[in-house]
Amino acid sequence: MTLHRRTVLAGVGSAVAAGLASGCGGRDVDDLVAQAATTPKKPARLTWWVSEIPSRRGAVVADLIIRAFERRHPNVRISKINALSTSDGNRSAIATQLAGGSPQPDVYLGDTTWPTQFGRAALALPVNELLPDGFWDAYPEALRRSSTYRGTAYAVPFFLDSTYLFYRKDLLAKHGLRVPRSWEELLHTSRTVQRAGDTAAGFLWQAAVTESLTANVTEFLADAGGTVLDERGRAALSGAAAERAFSLMAEFTTSGVTPRTVTTYEESDSQDAFVNGRGLFLRNWSYAWVNSSTPNVSRVAGKVGVALRPGFEGTGRRGVSCAGGWSNFVNPSSQQLGTAMEFARFCAGEEVQRLLAREAGVIPAMTSVLHGREARAAGDPTVLRAADLHLVARPVQTPHYPQVSKALYTPANAVVGGDLSPAAGVRAAQDGLRKALEGKAL
Amino acid sequence: MSTALQSKTSTPAKGGDSRSAPPGRQTPSAGSGARRRTRTGWLFASPALLVVTVVTVFPVVFSLALSFAEVRLDYGGLRLGSPTFAHYEALLSNPEWYHALAFTLGFTIVSVLLELVLGTLAALVLERLGAARGWLIALLLLPWALINVVAAQLWSYLFNGTYGAVSWLCEQVLGTQPDILGRPVPAMAAMVVVDVWKTTPFVAIVVLAGLMLISAEVYEAAEIDGAGPWTTFWRVTLPQLKPIVAIAVLFRILQAFGIFDLPFVLTQGGPGTATQSVAMLGYRILFQDLDFGGGAAVAVSTAAIVMACCLLFLRVLRAQTDEEVRG
Repeated sequence: MTLHRRTVLAGVGSAVAAGLASGCGGRDVDDLVAQAATTPKKPARLTWWVSEIPSRRGAVVADLIIRAFERRHPNVRISKINALSTSDGNRSAIATQLAGGSPQPDVYLGDTTWPTQFGRAALALPVNELLPDGFWDAYPEALRRSSTYRGTAYAVPFFLDSTYLFYRKDLLAKHGLRVPRSWEELLHTSRTVQRAGDTAAGFLWQAAVTESLTANVTEFLADAGGTVLDERGRAALSGAAAERAFSLMAEFTTSGVTPRTVTTYEESDSQDAFVNGRGLFLRNWSYAWVNSSTPNVSRVAGKVGVALRPGFEGTGRRGVSCAGGWSNFVNPSSQQLGTAMEFARFCAGEEVQRLLAREAGVIPAMTSVLHGREARAAGDPTVLRAADLHLVARPVQTPHYPQVSKALYTPANAVVGGDLSPAAGVRAAQDGLRKALEGKAL
Repeated sequence: MSTALQSKTSTPAKGGDSRSAPPGRQTPSAGSGARRRTRTGWLFASPALLVVTVVTVFPVVFSLALSFAEVRLDYGGLRLGSPTFAHYEALLSNPEWYHALAFTLGFTIVSVLLELVLGTLAALVLERLGAARGWLIALLLLPWALINVVAAQLWSYLFNGTYGAVSWLCEQVLGTQPDILGRPVPAMAAMVVVDVWKTTPFVAIVVLAGLMLISAEVYEAAEIDGAGPWTTFWRVTLPQLKPIVAIAVLFRILQAFGIFDLPFVLTQGGPGTATQSVAMLGYRILFQDLDFGGGAAVAVSTAAIVMACCLLFLRVLRAQTDEEVRG
């Protein structure tokens, strides 16, 4: 046998061609949904891609849920795959795995901003026909909207995350000041306490060039009565509301109420500064309550209060929060579609939702549980006040959400840093949004 | 290289017979032996070739195919559609790609130059040291031995605007707390500082190896000719170091052009997109936007550019070397 160069090249070519064609399995989505519609009784093993769920009393919440499911389904065994806690890192890891056609994990926990993108890329099973009638009535409307792309839901609710204004009770009491109801009042209060030398920073929030800033921009816009995209997914960021929102973001830094380094802050940076006693107010997600009120991790434990986010004076609107949180998605390449779907439904059901209220430092997705006995007994102000929030969805109803998000956070970061005027920032965001929605942005 | 090839082909055939087989042709028995040896060689090499094909050739060809095709993900898996230049058109018409390219080029040039100068200086000092050299080399290698992400995270703590030691020091000296990672120019400078801190030891060790290979007789000859230390360095040391410095620079260009972990951990490419490298842009397009065709186009175009840079560098270096040999 003589191996010629041409033979080797032909072999390599064949291997490459086979590899290129390997992804084309030709599975039909209706078949997948039909498979997922029945839960087999035979023994099954599931894998659940899940990041750490904050715990109220030290228990591993995911393990409690798995044990509860296995009690109900003795033939099923579930293993955890520990996922990253950051949304972006998590998305990259799971998307690569799913795009490669991996049958594992069977169920994965994903951000509420993912369904459109993952649905469009066929990385999540459509679940409309696999949920009972009236299913979404039990959950906030903003969650249904963010889980749906072109009328099809791709995610099953698990828990919510909402944003609040955390504040130093002791410092406000010392100065005889109340919790601000408007941004204008927050600026005044911050300056008063800063001038007295009692705090380095007035207001801590997140303005790094990440999706965290997109959430902030969405909220400030909603405070001012604006929105990023309209109901039909077209760019709607314009006018006085947009200017007001961008002007406020700039004013935080120009007035010194927020340190200039906020342009590098993500959630953890702002929380670190707050729990180390460097700030009077903090805008953060609900998990910051557990972290800031736990004595061994927070220098200000016992001195922190929680309030709804302020609004703009004269609008009568406050308590706006992005609808954040995590939902369960079913891997369309799973070999256990029926059991995987059953587990996702179980996590959205009342038993697990009440368990979350009791044990987890998160907000259960089921609205009725927020008013239930477990929620009251837990005494977590973020859970107790969740029903008062005005939830807004981030502009996730487009498959170009990452580009839309970038179109918002890039100019907003420059406005906060003083490199762009608020008006120029709005114009840059409009231009970026147009390109992103046309699919022309990188 | 060319000299060696010439001498090989000009060697007369065995026996010195001008009518014997031309070079490359063998007698039947010698030919079958050579074929057998070739076949055995291929057989022994085939497992390694297979591994190389799977882990190198396939990804490269697959990336090329992705970048020149319409790519879509559906429930049947990843599908390549009709050929298209759309991904490259999108790149070439987008200022963000040019910005990422400009930043990466600038970062590569500045950091590699600084590392080269500082690394050479460190190597010259180390060469002259006696007993303490081993300890100093070990100390010098510490930053190089650190995992990139860990080093970047460490520096992000130092540069942190709220509690970072560098920020605190600046506040003590200048009276104002600088926003190092939140402003474009300081953020770029910070990235260069970290890269230089991390990678200068590599250059120093490579250059030190080159210095130790230079014969002492050459220096003695220079001394006899009356050359001072400065002339000796420029006329004797540096020319002798050129090949090994070229290798160090090549490695560094390849590494610096693919910079990802530093901006990813330190700045996330910000402020704005000021420190977004092409590798980071590719990551964003590929893994965050799930645009496999666009991400592959960034990867392929970056590979082409970096290869062109390296070839250009080698050609310039070879031209210089040839000139010196002729001179």
